[in-house]
Amino acid sequence: MAQAALAREGLFALRREIARIEGRLAERLELPVFDPRSIPGEGKAVPNAGDAMVVRRSGIAGPALLPLGVPALDDPLGGGVPLAAMTEIHGAQMRDAGAVAGFALGLAALALKQAPADDRPVLWISAAGMFAEAGEPYMPGILARYGIPAERMLLCRAQRIEQALWVAEEAAALPALALMLLEVGGTPKKLDLTATRRLHRRAQIAGRPLFLLRQSAVAEPTAAPVRLEVSPAPAGERQLLQSLPDAALLEGSIGPPAVKVAITRSRTNMPASATLEWSDDARAFRAREPAIRGSGGVGRAADHGTVAAFSQDRPHPAAEVGARLASNRKPSWAA
Amino acid sequence: MRPPLLVSHRDGQAQRILAIDERAGALGLKPGLGVADARAMHSCLDVVEADPVADRRCLESLADWCDRYTPLTALDGDDGLFLDITGCTHLFGGEEAMLRDVLARLRRQGFDTRGAVASTVGAAWAAARFFPDGGLVEPGGEARLIGPLPLAALRIEPAICLRLEGVGLRKIGDIMKAPRAPLARRFGAALLVRLDQALGAVEEAVSPRLPVADLSVERILAEPISLVDDIEKLSAALARVLSTDLERRGEGARRLQLSLFRLDGGVQRLEVGASQPLRDPDFVARLFHEKLVAVGEAIDPGYGFELVRLSVLGTAPLAEEQADFAGGSERSVADLALLADRLRARLGDAILEQPVMVASHLPERAQRSEPFSVPIPAARDVENGHMQSSRSNPAERPVRLLPRPEPVDVAAAEVPEGPPASFRWRRALHRVMRAEGPERIAPEWWRQPAKAESRDYFRVEDEAGRRYWLYREGFYGTASAPRWYMHGLGA
Repeated sequence: MAQAALAREGLFALRREIARIEGRLAERLELPVFDPRSIPGEGKAVPNAGDAMVVRRSGIAGPALLPLGVPALDDPLGGGVPLAAMTEIHGAQMRDAGAVAGFALGLAALALKQAPADDRPVLWISAAGMFAEAGEPYMPGILARYGIPAERMLLCRAQRIEQALWVAEEAAALPALALMLLEVGGTPKKLDLTATRRLHRRAQIAGRPLFLLRQSAVAEPTAAPVRLEVSPAPAGERQLLQSLPDAALLEGSIGPPAVKVAITRSRTNMPASATLEWSDDARAFRAREPAIRGSGGVGRAADHGTVAAFSQDRPHPAAEVGARLASNRKPSWAA
Repeated sequence: MRPPLLVSHRDGQAQRILAIDERAGALGLKPGLGVADARAMHSCLDVVEADPVADRRCLESLADWCDRYTPLTALDGDDGLFLDITGCTHLFGGEEAMLRDVLARLRRQGFDTRGAVASTVGAAWAAARFFPDGGLVEPGGEARLIGPLPLAALRIEPAICLRLEGVGLRKIGDIMKAPRAPLARRFGAALLVRLDQALGAVEEAVSPRLPVADLSVERILAEPISLVDDIEKLSAALARVLSTDLERRGEGARRLQLSLFRLDGGVQRLEVGASQPLRDPDFVARLFHEKLVAVGEAIDPGYGFELVRLSVLGTAPLAEEQADFAGGSERSVADLALLADRLRARLGDAILEQPVMVASHLPERAQRSEPFSVPIPAARDVENGHMQSSRSNPAERPVRLLPRPEPVDVAAAEVPEGPPASFRWRRALHRVMRAEGPERIAPEWWRQPAKAESRDYFRVEDEAGRRYWLYREGFYGTASAPRWYMHGLGA
């Protein structure tokens, strides 16, 4: 008996090692297929063990992952973005806010699709004037593209980052919300490891996702198990007819929105990136094959824009250039 | 010793005395005298300019303070207060004791006050103003009391007063004896109404300054409190008392007010609203906790609060509901309502909003923000059907819309009515790789006549794949150059 247990433990250790090499989650190991010859005397104790999964995640079982539907990202994530957790979604510049918000809304739409009967609202918290800076959520566009109706959206405009964090903490523990988006600009000092851990823990207990949208931010240590860095990608072209796979692309048109998503932090610590495309019709992500453009010189052009300086936790943070312009002072170009 | 005090006001070209203190009165000065004359008579005078706004504020704060006696307080002119003490006197040991208490407390605050208690508003007014020591007017004794008083005690216009005196009617008693019909014909019905009101023949209601609370509980404290924690504890205790009253009425509170009466006469009020009828004392206490945190330092206890009152300003029916074991959706809606109330109590009413889609083709009007309410409103506009079903709406809209369109520098468009080749937005240059458009959106001429121009919207993708929603206002080749604006992101 003890020997059998030892043998099994050895097998598990080996599988864990294989998983590590393969870059899969060690926690999500398939139980060994039952073979009475390999472990004599153990067979009757674990019937139907062939397709069972071991998910050891602080005792929470069940469908706790939100698959993106793109294997290039789902596999390194170990199946998808964790549902009962905080997930960081980064955008490098403020002007990428549309792409970042689009990706987050796509995730939200996928999460809402998992529970169609659910009618709990989505709370979108903006810290310190992010809505003025990066634009308000525009429900006609969001409804058309992501299928989230206006009556399921709640907007919270916090004046300061402390207020936003307070609201987020109060709301994160509340099961009455389907999911939460917390949008923060830059790298505020208040949003440190402790604050994110509090948010993450509350989201875990409430059992639903909290997407932390960080616009114009650099990666900092946080408690979020998954960090995705999102940047815009040139979209494909519009398909004229669904039935014709590639013949009927409308040249020069702007197709479904595309984003480049890079996993910079996950449980497996496997870096991965992929270009995703949101399909309005399927309401799902799909991988976008690169280089489907013909001529026209659309490829990767150099980024000529002025890049905002990151404000960091230093005695004298560098002035942000061009990142925050929705203020009273008159910009130079408007003179 | 302080010099005699005069309050002056400008009357035409002259600066005249409006009010004087006792010492100035002892010198023989009178209101109405010119300030220059008074200075000529007495060199050492302290003259201050009258400030009617501050006087008004002072009177209002006194009215607030009188709220401790009765919720029905009203201002009377510039220097009087009405207190409707019907049904309140037993709490203060009877009418006479109550009057003494009011006057003594006001005197301690430094006010020289005269007061009277009577069955009618008119009689009390006359007694308080025309008898040096005011006092009680017995029910039925109004006629005997006001009979010998001059006509001004009737609260009638000075012009009518003068005309009455012109025909020899100098006292109220004269009018009471005179035949009514000729009086009404010559001097107007208002005179007789005032007389009847003073005598109690016609009802006169005091219209209170503040809305009267449906329910209120208060606690008078022997030892004044000043700590926020104590106020919170007390509000929870008061809410507990209140909840039994609300339960008996089958109601819940929608608006609650906590009034804190300071030892030195100041009154501070905190108000919270509830999205759903509320009865649970813990919830009420939590709302006031958020409010107290939000108010923070603005609460000034001074020497402490001696009376704390919790009033219900608005109620709504709240039926007792039996909870199911699963703890269904009602619970979650209630949680959400409580969260919304707490956010609003601490951060203001605009903190939580609900976007509502409106039937308008103008992008900025197609969405409106409304304060969050329970139940969450469904889509408002029936005519807005095409907006509700996303598939039948061919025009693509951005995911984010800037609250105000931001001007964009466009050097040139490739073709006059076409998209820009490049543009500068927020100091960064964007090269347009692909564009779709224009989508022409005309202004709503039935709402904003003739001023607005129609816009041509373009969906634009730059070299990195960022998607923008730009528009051009005006046309090339016209007198004014067209202007370009950034309106949305993620188009």
